[in-house]
Amino acid sequence: MLATLLSATLVGLDGRVIRVEVDVAGGLPGFTIVGLADAALQEARERVRGAIRNAGFIHPPRRITVNLAPAEQRKAGASLDLAIALGILLGSEQVRASPERIALIGELSLGGEVRAVPGVLPMVAALARRGLRRVVVPADCIDEAGLVGGIEAVAVGTLRDAAELVRRRAGRRAVTIPPRVDLGGEPAPGGAAAGVPAVPATTVPLQLADLSEVRGQLEARRGLEIALAGGHGLLLVGPPGSGKTLLARTIPGLLPPLGDAEALAATIVASVAGDAPRALVRQAPVRAPHHTLSYAAMVGGGPRMSPGEVTLADHGVLFLDELPEFSRDVLEALRQPLEDGRVSVSRVGRATTFPARFQLVAAMNPCPCGMAGDPSGRCQCAPLLPERYTGRVSGPLRDRIDLWVTLPKVPPAALMTGVEPESSATVGARIATARTRQRRRSSGARLNGRISGRELRRICALNTIANRRAIELAEMEGLSGRGTERLLRVARTIADLAGESAVLGEHLEEAARFRSPMSRLAAREAS
Amino acid sequence: MLGVGASGPVGDGEAAASGPTVVRGLALPTLTERQAWALLVSIPGLGPVGFGALLRSLGSGRAILETALQRGAVGRLVAAGLNDERETFGRPVAEAIVAIAERPLPVLRAIELPGIEILTTEDAGYPRRLLEIEMPPHVIFVNGDVAAMSATHAIAIVGTRRPTEAGRRVAAQIGGAIAKTGATVVSGLAVGIDGSSHAAAAAEGGRTVAVLGSGHGRLYPKAHADLARKIVAGGGAIVSELVPDTHPSPSTFPRRNRLISGLADATIVVEAGERSGALITADWAMQQGRGCFMVPGPIDAPTSAGCLSWLRQYPGEVRIVAGIPELIEDLRLLEGAAPGPRKGMSLEAELIELGATARAVGMELVRGFGTLDELVVATDQPAATVLGALTMLELRGLAVSAYGRYRPAGRLASSGGRTATRKAILRSVRPSEPGPSAA
Repeated sequence: MLATLLSATLVGLDGRVIRVEVDVAGGLPGFTIVGLADAALQEARERVRGAIRNAGFIHPPRRITVNLAPAEQRKAGASLDLAIALGILLGSEQVRASPERIALIGELSLGGEVRAVPGVLPMVAALARRGLRRVVVPADCIDEAGLVGGIEAVAVGTLRDAAELVRRRAGRRAVTIPPRVDLGGEPAPGGAAAGVPAVPATTVPLQLADLSEVRGQLEARRGLEIALAGGHGLLLVGPPGSGKTLLARTIPGLLPPLGDAEALAATIVASVAGDAPRALVRQAPVRAPHHTLSYAAMVGGGPRMSPGEVTLADHGVLFLDELPEFSRDVLEALRQPLEDGRVSVSRVGRATTFPARFQLVAAMNPCPCGMAGDPSGRCQCAPLLPERYTGRVSGPLRDRIDLWVTLPKVPPAALMTGVEPESSATVGARIATARTRQRRRSSGARLNGRISGRELRRICALNTIANRRAIELAEMEGLSGRGTERLLRVARTIADLAGESAVLGEHLEEAARFRSPMSRLAAREAS
Repeated sequence: MLGVGASGPVGDGEAAASGPTVVRGLALPTLTERQAWALLVSIPGLGPVGFGALLRSLGSGRAILETALQRGAVGRLVAAGLNDERETFGRPVAEAIVAIAERPLPVLRAIELPGIEILTTEDAGYPRRLLEIEMPPHVIFVNGDVAAMSATHAIAIVGTRRPTEAGRRVAAQIGGAIAKTGATVVSGLAVGIDGSSHAAAAAEGGRTVAVLGSGHGRLYPKAHADLARKIVAGGGAIVSELVPDTHPSPSTFPRRNRLISGLADATIVVEAGERSGALITADWAMQQGRGCFMVPGPIDAPTSAGCLSWLRQYPGEVRIVAGIPELIEDLRLLEGAAPGPRKGMSLEAELIELGATARAVGMELVRGFGTLDELVVATDQPAATVLGALTMLELRGLAVSAYGRYRPAGRLASSGGRTATRKAILRSVRPSEPGPSAA
C-alpha cells in the first residue's frame, strides 16, 4: 500500500518541502530509498528500522521503497526520518489515518525518540508557504517552529506519540506534548552523530567583558566605539597583552539589539546552525573563529551546504584574532561578502547564496615577535620587518578596513591610575543613538560603513572650511580616492556620535588618526 | 650588470686579440676621461687598488680602455694591474674591461642618469675630506649639491636601525643642534638613528649628506625615498660610490661606512649594539684619524652595549657625548662657521597658528608623554580633541606616530632639547589666549 506524507529539508538557509512516498509491497524483503539522498539520509533506513521495532511496532518483512520528490533535488540530513517511519507504519497499515495532508519533521533515534534537527524554523516556514496548516516537529524545536505564523506546530517526543497523533486524525483535538526534560541519560540533541553541524569546533567562545574592565587604551576604545557605531571594519594592532582580545570581548555588550527583520534573519541562521533558538534572536551575533579554520568553514559549503562563519555573523560582528595567521585564501574569501553583504557558494550542480552582512573586527601583533614599538627597543625582528608584517593584510581587505588602531603596551602604573573608564552601558547607549541617526537618514536604513560613495558625499554636507581640511588631510596622507572616502566615512560616524548634522573639520581631524599605518611609515622613519 | 661585465660577452675579447690593433674602436674617441673612469668603476672586482695600479701603469682611463682593444689585451691588462709584483685582479676582470671597451655605450647609458653628477678624484669639486682617506673611491655619484660635502664642518651621526625612543630623540637633538651651527650632518640614510639625524638636520634648514649602500637607481631603504628628496631639496646631497644600477647587498654597507666617516671631521655613534654596523663606521673614523664620539646609555641596555664597550676599550681616543652644548663645544663647531640661513616660519610662529590645544599637546609630547592616555591626562582634554590636535601637529610635520605612541618630530624634536623647545612654546603663547596647561 502507498502512503504519501510531506516533510522538509534544508538547502543553505532555505527550507524545501519534500514529498515522501512510501510503498510497502510484496516480494523479497528489502528497503530502498531513491531520490538523490545523501549518506545521512541513506542511513535513515537503519534508524527507521530500529525506531519502528523499539517503539513496539513491526518493521514489515516486505519490499519497502521510499521515493523522495522532487527527484532531481539533492536531499541531505535526517529531518525526513520521522516522515519515512510513519509512512512505513501507514503503508503496512499498522496505523490508519485519514488522507489529510500530514507534515512531519524530525530525526529518529534507534529507541524511537524524535530528536531535534537544525533548521526547523526555515523548514516550517517553507511548509507554511505551501499552505500546510499543521506540522509535527521534535519537542526540542517547538519554540522556533512556533515563531512561524499561519501554521500550527505540534511537538512530539517519540515515534509512538507521532503515530498516536496521526491516528487521532490530528486536528480535532490537538495534543501538545511539552518538551521532554532531559534526564541526562539521552545524548544531547544535535549531537555529532546526528550530523548536526552545531557550532564548528574551530570557534573560540567569546567570554563577555565590560568596557569598565578595560583600563587605558583610550585610542582603541574610541576606535571601537566609532567602528561599532558606523559598522566600519576595524583592525587592532598591538603587542600581546595590550588588551586587543579584552576589547573584542566587550563587543557583544556594546551592540544594540537587532531590529525585527534582522532578528528574524538571525534566528533563521541560528536555527540552521543547530542552536534551536527559543525565541527571536535579538542579540547581534559575534563570531570569533580560530585562525586554523578552513575555507569552507569561513564561507559555507560542505556536503550539506551549511552556512559558514561569515553567515553566522550576519548582522553582527566577525572577529578575527591574529589576522595574518589566517590562510590567504580564507582571507581572500572575505572580499565578496565585505563588498556585497552576501556570499555565493557554488558546487557542481548546486549554488547557494548566503547572507553575510557582517562587520569585520580583526586583531594582530605589530610584528612576528610582537614587541615592535616597545620604547625599550626590545623588538627582535629585522628592521622594517614589522612593516612587512602589516603588509600581509592584503590590499582588498585593507581597503575594507576603515579604522586602524595601534595599541601601545600599557605600563603597569597606568593600570592603577588614569581616568575612570566608561562602562559598556554608557558607550553602548551612544552607539545605539548614532546608529538610529544613520538608519533614519540613509535610504536603505544602512550604517555609514555600508552606504554608497555618492550617498556618503551628500550626507557629509562639508562646508568650505571642512572641504579644504579634507583635501589637506588627503594630500598629507597621499590618499587615493578610496582612502579619502574612508576618511569621510569615519568622519561622518564621528559627527553622528557627536550629534552633528554636518561633518566639520574637527571630525575629519580625528578620523585621520585611524587610517592605515602603511601611509605613515615614510613619515615616521624620516623623523 | 646589464649583461655586460664579468659574465658578459667575454668571447669577443678573444676575437679582439686575434684581429687588427683596434677593433670597433669608433666609440672610444667619443668618450671623455670622466666617462672612461665611470665605465671602469662599474666593473665588479675592479676596486680602488686595481684601478689605481692600472692608472699608474697606463696613464689614464681612456688609455686603459684603448689597451683593452688591442691584441692580447687580457694579458696586458693583468700585467698592467700588477702592484708590487702582485696581481690586483685576474683574467675575468681583465676580460670584463675588454668587454666594456668594446661596447661602452649600453653601460654608459645606465650610468649617466639625469640629475646624478659624476665626480672623479681629478675634479676640483671632489670632497677634500675624502681625498685624505686611504684609497678614496676614484668616482662618486652625487645627487644634489656637491658643495654640501665640502662645508667647513661636517659631522657624521650613525647608530642602530632599531633604536629606542630615547635614541631617536637624542639623534634628532644632535642632528638639529649640529645643523643649526651651519655644519653638515653626514649619515647613511638607514632607518632608525640615521633617518632621525638626517630628518632633524633637514627640519632645521641645515645641509645633510646621505651616503648610500646601493646605487642611486636602487635607493635603499625605499621607505626613505621621501627623506632623500627632502635632503636634496634642502641643499644637501645623496652620495654613492656605486654605479646607479647597483643593488644593496651585505657587502656594500660596510664599504659605504668608510665614506660616512671619511666625509666627516668626526663620527658620533648614538646607539649601537655589540655588533652594530655603526661601530664599523667608528672604526673607520679612528683609522682615518677623525674624531669619534659615543653617546652613553644605561649599562644594561643592549642598544648601548657597543657604545659603552668602546668607551671602556679606547679611553682618550673615543670621547663621550655629555650633553648637546658640551658636544658642540667639543666638536669646536662654533669656530669659523657661519650658521645656515633659517627658512620658512619660526617654530613659535607655527605654534601660534596651530592654536591652544595643539600647542598644549605638542608641549606634552616634548615632555615625553607618548600615548593618548597620557596626553589626555596631561592636557585634561577629551580623547577626540587630542586626537584631532595630533593630526594637526602631524600635518605640520611636528609629530609622528608609531605603534600607538606619538613623538615630537621636525622642529619640535630638533630644536635643541626640551628646555629650548619648551621656551619656544611658551614664547608662542599670546597673552590674549589661554596657554598650555603647564604655562
